[in-house]
Amino acid sequence: MQPLVEFWRAYQSTVAFAIVNAFFALSTYSVLSAGILSFATVTYAAMGGFVGARLVLLTGLDPVFLLPAAMLAGAALAYLVALIFLRLDSHWMALASLALILITRVVVINVPSVTGGVNGLSLPVSIPLGVLVLLLLVAIVVYHRLSVSWYGIATRAVREDPAVASSLGIAPRRIQTIAFAISGAIGGIGGMLLALALQFLSPDTYFVNIAFTMIAGVVLGGSYHWVGAIIGAAVFTALPVLAQAVIPDFQEVANGVALLLIMIFLPRGLVDPRAIRLRRAAREGQGEALAAAVPAVAAARRAGGDAP
Amino acid sequence: MAARAAAQADTTLLQVEAIGKNFGGVAAVSGLSMTVRSGSVAGVMGPNGAGKTTLVNLISGLLPSDSGTIRFGGTEIQRLAAHDIAALGIARTYQNVRLFSGMTVLEQVMAGCFLRRGTSLWASFLGLPKAVAARKAVEAHAMELLERVQLVRQAQLLAETLSYGEQRRVEIARALGTGPRLLLLDEPTAGMNVQESNEIGSLVHSLRDGGLTVLMVEHNVRLVKEFCDHVTVMNFGRLLADGTPAECIAHPDVQAAYFGNTADADRIRALR
Amino acid sequence: MQLFLEQLINGCALGSLYALFGLGFGIVFATLGILNAAHGSYASWAAIAALAAVEQLKLPFIPALLIGVLAGGLLAVVVDQVAFQPLRRRGTGMLGALITSIAFWIILDSLAGTATGQQSLSFPRGSYPGAMFHLGEIPLPAMQVITIGVMLGVTAGLHLLIRRSRFGAAMRAVGWNQTAASLGGVNPRYVVIVTAFIAGATSGLAGVLGGITTHNVSFLLGEGLLLKGFAAVVVGGYDDVRGTAVAGVGLGVLEVMSAQYLSSGLRDGITYALLLGFLLLRPRGLFGSLGFSRA
Repeated sequence: MQPLVEFWRAYQSTVAFAIVNAFFALSTYSVLSAGILSFATVTYAAMGGFVGARLVLLTGLDPVFLLPAAMLAGAALAYLVALIFLRLDSHWMALASLALILITRVVVINVPSVTGGVNGLSLPVSIPLGVLVLLLLVAIVVYHRLSVSWYGIATRAVREDPAVASSLGIAPRRIQTIAFAISGAIGGIGGMLLALALQFLSPDTYFVNIAFTMIAGVVLGGSYHWVGAIIGAAVFTALPVLAQAVIPDFQEVANGVALLLIMIFLPRGLVDPRAIRLRRAAREGQGEALAAAVPAVAAARRAGGDAP
Repeated sequence: MAARAAAQADTTLLQVEAIGKNFGGVAAVSGLSMTVRSGSVAGVMGPNGAGKTTLVNLISGLLPSDSGTIRFGGTEIQRLAAHDIAALGIARTYQNVRLFSGMTVLEQVMAGCFLRRGTSLWASFLGLPKAVAARKAVEAHAMELLERVQLVRQAQLLAETLSYGEQRRVEIARALGTGPRLLLLDEPTAGMNVQESNEIGSLVHSLRDGGLTVLMVEHNVRLVKEFCDHVTVMNFGRLLADGTPAECIAHPDVQAAYFGNTADADRIRALR
Repeated sequence: MQLFLEQLINGCALGSLYALFGLGFGIVFATLGILNAAHGSYASWAAIAALAAVEQLKLPFIPALLIGVLAGGLLAVVVDQVAFQPLRRRGTGMLGALITSIAFWIILDSLAGTATGQQSLSFPRGSYPGAMFHLGEIPLPAMQVITIGVMLGVTAGLHLLIRRSRFGAAMRAVGWNQTAASLGGVNPRYVVIVTAFIAGATSGLAGVLGGITTHNVSFLLGEGLLLKGFAAVVVGGYDDVRGTAVAGVGLGVLEVMSAQYLSSGLRDGITYALLLGFLLLRPRGLFGSLGFSRA
């Protein structure tokens, strides 16, 4: 019993950070599933984190009650971003979202009344792990419901072929704007949860580093299903901790190597609904049809090999 | 059924007037005018590169036109976005089948039923009973459409693993999901054998009997003769001939476009 | 007035670093269509290699510099062949390449952190030219003169290479369409490797010079250069090296001036505001050409 308790105490914070990263990954996944690569989750997180932290310091309320504020702040910001950025071509949009993060840091430094400026903001309030787990479960229910609804099919259509989706009455920009709003809401919550987990915010907390690792986590876990986002975040958080036992001083490298291997061998990520369905089809004896379709499948896999 | 079709037969559903589209310096479509009567099956023929697919792209809103107007049921649509045109009642298929990668046959058709989703995002997200009921209704409707194209057995299979002919039928079912008044088919029988082509032809006829108007880009002369009420022939982006299938096929310009000039044939013979 | 001129020169020197780095980054972006997140680490590692050459091998300035440049170039080739070549064969687009480059960014930056003991190292005095010139009353450190001069020289050289030489034509052909280029008699693999080397070497050069002048040999050096160099490429126009050079120097000057006359907190503000502005309103930059599509 005792070793289990020791183990738990040692890895509690890892689990907590894995859950926070899962929120960021889900936020990135939300727009990725509608065909958009955007790093702006970091900005929504900054919004939610600083707004939430300030409100906690000002009101002294339990942070759980203030989460909706972080969520709404993130969603509102994301909606604005959508209005401006959705006009851009997809490659430029990804770069513009990167520029947005860079500007966010400048803004954070220059608004010390909210963010504490260069010196940062101290938040001596924490959130119990149980609450984090509960919040993640709620997020899971939301994402599941959305993915099996008409919204889920519509986003997949927009991602795979926006022109065809349009001809079916699905307006890509409308769907993508909704995706942005959801991304902002979840990102805002994640940002506030990060603030509560770190208990200290600096201008570098919400910056390029987490932008790159969150997109990497989503791709590694599988960018074609929300479960992939959660698994990717978990792997990315846990891998360095595990690696530390084996190759200390090089544990950060483990994430990079894992991502590289996935990109080369499993570009659609660990969780790939299409691969699962193909395997099921093969098992159920679709042999002939499958053989005939192999060139088409190989071509589709190559086309789908573009991770996002 | 037939009575309804007869009553609609005299109304013009689609009116294209002097439509034009340039790509760089090339006029893909130029000054083309045509009408499609409600409840009819209209054929569009022409050699490769004649601009037939561009015409379909212009009508469905995939491409913006450079000049001219397109009227659908009286409304001008050439400036509308594709999704608005779809909501007005025009659906289409593609020359190279464009199904969504990674989705099952049923999901493809359900995507097509987007306009019939019948519930708001909040209702779905909260899991309200009316949202659950709406989804069940959409699924049922999608299955009905699959029955129309005889693909019920394959509903849960990944669409991209089906045979080419079956994929085309999925695409048609998907297009029908939007509940269109006008269905644009771009070379629906390309790559099919005689039996499959006939099946498509009968499907088109049964759709017309149900009140749908169909515009078909088709190379297969036999099919056009058998299933089309009216034919428009294009060449080099322009109108070449317009009339009943028999009239168009017998037209000397049409024959020259497809088979070459007798003058050229004489010249070649003279070279020997 | 003297302060203004001093800061102007400081800005030009800093901007020359950005320009130099941006040249390498921009070549890969414009001709190979890859947004390489790991490019900054080539600069970091070049600085680390040069510092090691100075400290371990006791080499003088120029050989150490060359070792750093070589290191940058070789690293770029290795990353290209390991990360991007398999994707090229598969026909993956820019976004897939970006994510793979992020993998290498993680790997190379962590290794660099370990190599410098998680600290910011400095080149020892005497390992580089420390002479001080004077322009009237204004002090002009030798390293600043060298940096600006090198930037001008490299810009001119690259411009001639890309626009006036056969190899440059081959680079542009391969960047546009590898299959078509090979049909035209170009060996795409060879062109890609040489291009990657040039890009890595140029950014490596920026890394060594930057590591010396900013007293910051660490993975942060590369990250800083990456962000500013990227801004220079976008603002200047990614397919013209002269545009990148002008934009880089301009951004350096604006940065120093805004830190001096506005506030140190806004130091990066103008750079990133310009970056975002150009991306939203004029993605082809000041001097770039239209009709550039990568899909």
